[in-house]
Amino acid sequence: MLLLEHDAKELVRHRGIPVPAGIFVDSQSVDDMQLEGTGAWVVKAQVRAGGRGKAGGVGFAESVHEVADFIRTHANASIKGQAVAGFRIEQKIAFTHEVYLSFVIDPAQRGVRVLFSAQGGVDVEEHAQQQGAMLTAVAAPDEASLVAAASALLPKLPAELHQPIAAAIVALAAAFIAFDATLLEVNPLFVLADGTWIAGDMKLSLDENAFSRQPELERIVRSRPKVYREANFKLDHDFDYVEIDRNGQIGLLTTGAGLSMMLIDEMLQAGRRPFNFCDVRTGLLRGSPTRLIEVLKQFTRGPNISVVLVNIFAGITDLGEFAQLLLQALDAVPEIRVPIVARLIGNNFAAAKTLIEQSGRPITVEVDLDQALKLAIEQAGVSA
Amino acid sequence: MSTFQLDAQAKVIVQGATGRMGRRHAELMKHYGTNIVGGIAGVSVRRDDSGIPLFDNCQDAVAATDAQVAITLVPPMDVLAAVTEALDAGIKFIVSPSEGMPVRDAILAYGRVREHGATWVGPSTPGLAIPNRMKLGFIPDVSLSPGPLGVMSKSGTLSYEVCFRLSRRGIGQSIWIGVGGDPVKGLRFAELLPYFQNDQNTRAVLVLGEIGGSEEEELAAETVRLSFSKPVFVLLAGASAPEGVTMGHAGALVQGGRGTIFSKTTALQAAGARVFTSIESLVHGVVSSDV
Repeated sequence: MLLLEHDAKELVRHRGIPVPAGIFVDSQSVDDMQLEGTGAWVVKAQVRAGGRGKAGGVGFAESVHEVADFIRTHANASIKGQAVAGFRIEQKIAFTHEVYLSFVIDPAQRGVRVLFSAQGGVDVEEHAQQQGAMLTAVAAPDEASLVAAASALLPKLPAELHQPIAAAIVALAAAFIAFDATLLEVNPLFVLADGTWIAGDMKLSLDENAFSRQPELERIVRSRPKVYREANFKLDHDFDYVEIDRNGQIGLLTTGAGLSMMLIDEMLQAGRRPFNFCDVRTGLLRGSPTRLIEVLKQFTRGPNISVVLVNIFAGITDLGEFAQLLLQALDAVPEIRVPIVARLIGNNFAAAKTLIEQSGRPITVEVDLDQALKLAIEQAGVSA
Repeated sequence: MSTFQLDAQAKVIVQGATGRMGRRHAELMKHYGTNIVGGIAGVSVRRDDSGIPLFDNCQDAVAATDAQVAITLVPPMDVLAAVTEALDAGIKFIVSPSEGMPVRDAILAYGRVREHGATWVGPSTPGLAIPNRMKLGFIPDVSLSPGPLGVMSKSGTLSYEVCFRLSRRGIGQSIWIGVGGDPVKGLRFAELLPYFQNDQNTRAVLVLGEIGGSEEEELAAETVRLSFSKPVFVLLAGASAPEGVTMGHAGALVQGGRGTIFSKTTALQAAGARVFTSIESLVHGVVSSDV
């Protein structure tokens, strides 16, 4: 889970990583902001994406007035497809070098890859194309191994960078491991005239599977329910749900990540707009309709949903029991009045079909997935 | 890492055999034909009413049963410890279905697996099966049937659906291996290719991939490197996933323009694989190809 730059810097600052002092401001708090120092400042739109600078999300300001102007003109902007969550304002740093340094999980090597380059900054990707411009090594996921692997590359950097980068390696490797990070990228990493370093920009992505041993991560996620919406949902309900298209036509109440992704692809291929992705995991319902209710509640946010597709491939789940839970969930969310296509296959199908038909609700029970998908697509078309 | 091989008669122990899920799946696997020889009990549960002998730890279980295979039906934060315990007891083949294992734990587990010359499947997988002979995990019986396809999949549910439809049309599987939906895993697509090349029962390979990571691209490169001679059919999910959003599987994430369907499709097609973007077109492609 990629954090906002502001959240990342505030998190690592407490672990001895030098970052420029900064404050978080949004369009509401812009009138009361208390800027540090006398300028100049850099104003950075907060989005969870890279390439922000080139997309116009970073501005330089000489006065408080200019800072406020930049914020007001960019507050409602969309950068790299994302709404701006706010701005981090920092004092502009006078540096002698811009370096690139990152640690990232490398799935193919089953290790942590360290990357660095003496030429950091916004054009690092172009620099990296040059032979030897990006130094890299893979290490085991512990602090000592990361430091050893990264330090072994140091002699390839210009001498004046050895001391500050050696210090940065030690501090960043420790943070990478301590926070269960999957990516910690500092670019630019500023080297200052006095031989110290400071993290100019930072991308920090943390492993959501390590939530239970990372209480700080949960606190950050909870502090921004809008920015970290999916992570909040998963913390609350323990399953995956992603809203894909607020104006989507088809609500998906489905189980299985791969199959749900595939259904979304096929709906789009047929020219329909799915509202969401989800994986309710019927194996974990444990006799309660709660998960189904949560998904149906999400559908009340979609103004254009005209059909709900349920897909349950029950290897083990009893479909009779599932049908009962589905009907209970629909009772609990009476706002859902659109037709439902329920593709059910597996144990106790006949009981499920009877239960649903006796309910008198507008639910079509289908055993064939392609047929169910076709019905949902037709229904979405009727109301479109 | 040893090359992948699996004996359908191998003696299997179940770690976490007395949890709610563990107990149920141990019985289902045994019923399917898996040679389950023992279970490792959870805390203070000593009742033995499933017909599966229970042991305190892997060491005792292996000493008593000579088991070669372990399946770790334990919570995600306990997988690393379970894998380590199995390896220390001499187990050489481990399946870890758990979803939600931290990636650092997975890297550490893999390192230990490699040191022991063992094979590890998972995490975040429904497991694997040799139809009508054995299964290690949750793959539903209704989707399993013996046949010519060597199946490898990142997704459980997508593979259930595809193999269910193919089975109904008379095309089953030689072996079915869920590699799992996490980024760091014990077995990757490309690493299974030599097995499929040599396995006489496999006449074609079915790959169920998805966005994120580079496994499909590595598979394409390995197909070329090995001059892989059997037909390869691929279904890729997640073409429409928004960039930067994890789609259920921790590994299913397009970031910085990497891990896209386009990159995967291009690489696989160049390697001679047939790539499909809907279930029915894939099923039709396989059925009409006379495998």
